[in-house]
Amino acid sequence: MQTERLFDRIDSIQFKGITKKYGTGFAVKDLDLEIQGGELLILIGPSGSGKTTTLRMMNRMIEQDSGSVTINGLDTREVDPVRLRRNMGYVIQNIGLFPHMTIGENIGLVPKLERWDKNRIEERVRELLNFVSLPPEMFMDRYPRQLSGGQQQRVGLARAMAMDPPLFLMDEPFGALDPILRKQLQKEFLKIKNEINRTIVFVTHDIEEALILGDRIAIMDQAKLVQVGPPEELIFNPVNELVADIVDTKRKFKHMDTLNVKDLMSPFDEKYVFDGKINSCDAVEEMTTRDIETAFVFDDDELLGQVTMMDLMKCRVKIQKLADVARPVKTFQPLDSVAFALSELKNSGEYLAIVMNSKHPIGILVSDEVLLKLI
Amino acid sequence: MLTLQVIANVWDKHLMTMRTIEHLQMFSIALLLSIIIGVTVGVFIYMRPKTANAVLNFLNIVETIPDLALIVLLLPILKLGAGPTIAACVLYSILPVARNTYTGLKGVDEQYTYVAHAIGLSPQEALFKVRIPMSLPLIAGGIRIALVFCMGVVTLGGLVAAGGLGTVLQNGIQLYEKDAILVAGLWTGLLAVFLDGFAGIVEKKLHERYGTW
Repeated sequence: MQTERLFDRIDSIQFKGITKKYGTGFAVKDLDLEIQGGELLILIGPSGSGKTTTLRMMNRMIEQDSGSVTINGLDTREVDPVRLRRNMGYVIQNIGLFPHMTIGENIGLVPKLERWDKNRIEERVRELLNFVSLPPEMFMDRYPRQLSGGQQQRVGLARAMAMDPPLFLMDEPFGALDPILRKQLQKEFLKIKNEINRTIVFVTHDIEEALILGDRIAIMDQAKLVQVGPPEELIFNPVNELVADIVDTKRKFKHMDTLNVKDLMSPFDEKYVFDGKINSCDAVEEMTTRDIETAFVFDDDELLGQVTMMDLMKCRVKIQKLADVARPVKTFQPLDSVAFALSELKNSGEYLAIVMNSKHPIGILVSDEVLLKLI
Repeated sequence: MLTLQVIANVWDKHLMTMRTIEHLQMFSIALLLSIIIGVTVGVFIYMRPKTANAVLNFLNIVETIPDLALIVLLLPILKLGAGPTIAACVLYSILPVARNTYTGLKGVDEQYTYVAHAIGLSPQEALFKVRIPMSLPLIAGGIRIALVFCMGVVTLGGLVAAGGLGTVLQNGIQLYEKDAILVAGLWTGLLAVFLDGFAGIVEKKLHERYGTW
């Protein structure tokens, strides 16, 4: 069966008033949620909280009792489920590969059903195996049982990518792996995620995984959405005890007062230094070659402030000097406490600051990175 | 004594080369039909689970009719010759093939069907690409039972002028030729053992290729 492509990219996915009942209990109750295009949204919560049900309603493996799921404005109920599913990559934990098919056949299954010709399928399979770091010559003709758990999981990911879908649904993909392997695959997945730049909805019960991978995290409990937001928001402003419990605010941060800025900053790099006298347009060029998004403007030894690529793109006047557009930047001393620094950053709405040792920059403090190091 | 000379004499006198060919012909046609009908019935009752009990019970009842009686019952409908024998074979063999197909399809881990659907296989595609291939070892087991049934029933066909090695046995009994009975009996048995062994090898290969349990 051949199917058409439904969308090239995801702009937004909307859950509106979704309810799903099982018998007398609710699996999901009155769920409203928006998933933005290009983000990785984590669904997390205790078992029975409705996170998996929510994921499965997106590809209609489970049908809601009321409410609607729309993708780019298109109601999923108006699309043939087979067609809908072929426009999404699906990854499930451990058992996902078909034992009677080789790795190549597993990955090429849907392309084959879509009547791709043999060469095109083989080419695609090779490309994908390379992408997940499994040499095709070695793995294409093996059977899943001849692979380790981690290798199988990579094949599962490659299979999900076969049709190059704009949306991935991941159902505890690393749940069955041992902790060390899981960490390693998470790291690789993060790299892949940045490369493919797709919208991903990811179910997990592992909060560390959620904090590492998620752009935003949706916490569910007893069929309801409790809170949704970026990791630092959940950590700093949990709406209730449960959220605080899940992100384990107390335990993870009890050492924060004893830690200093210098413990958690990233070392300063000369590439961030820009002279205040160069003009904005040249600065854009230079930032592009240095591959940075933010620069710090100095006049000789004096720190004038920061500029971001976004700021500079907006102002088009050639004569404008960096010194004129630089915005103030927070500075901290190496021995300032992390708790103090983070709350300062939060209050000023900034996410990074520069660490100065008297007059010399020695480090950069990025709030997200600090959080990651703390957990 | 069963010397080579005796065997050669019996073989010539009773046209056993021709009888063996007839025998295997009836057997092959019967087995082929059993597989086609049995697998179809198995898939059908799997897709309509409500009918499964009724169909399997009916086939069980057919199974309890003595084979000789079944052949005789079929005589008025299908006349003398190979017809009633082949029909009886098929009627007997549908049950093991259909039952194993049904059990095999049901036995495939739900997870695989789930994944098949979730990655975008239609119900038919999931059946033909995942469930049936994964049930092949069990289906082959059913076919192997059917094969043994068929060998037995085809031999009985000698009683109703179906030809085959049963005819040689029948003649041996009528004419009281012990050697003919012995040679034909041993030869039939040998054929059955050989075919069963072959089926066993195929079954094992399928297990290695498709079996997961």
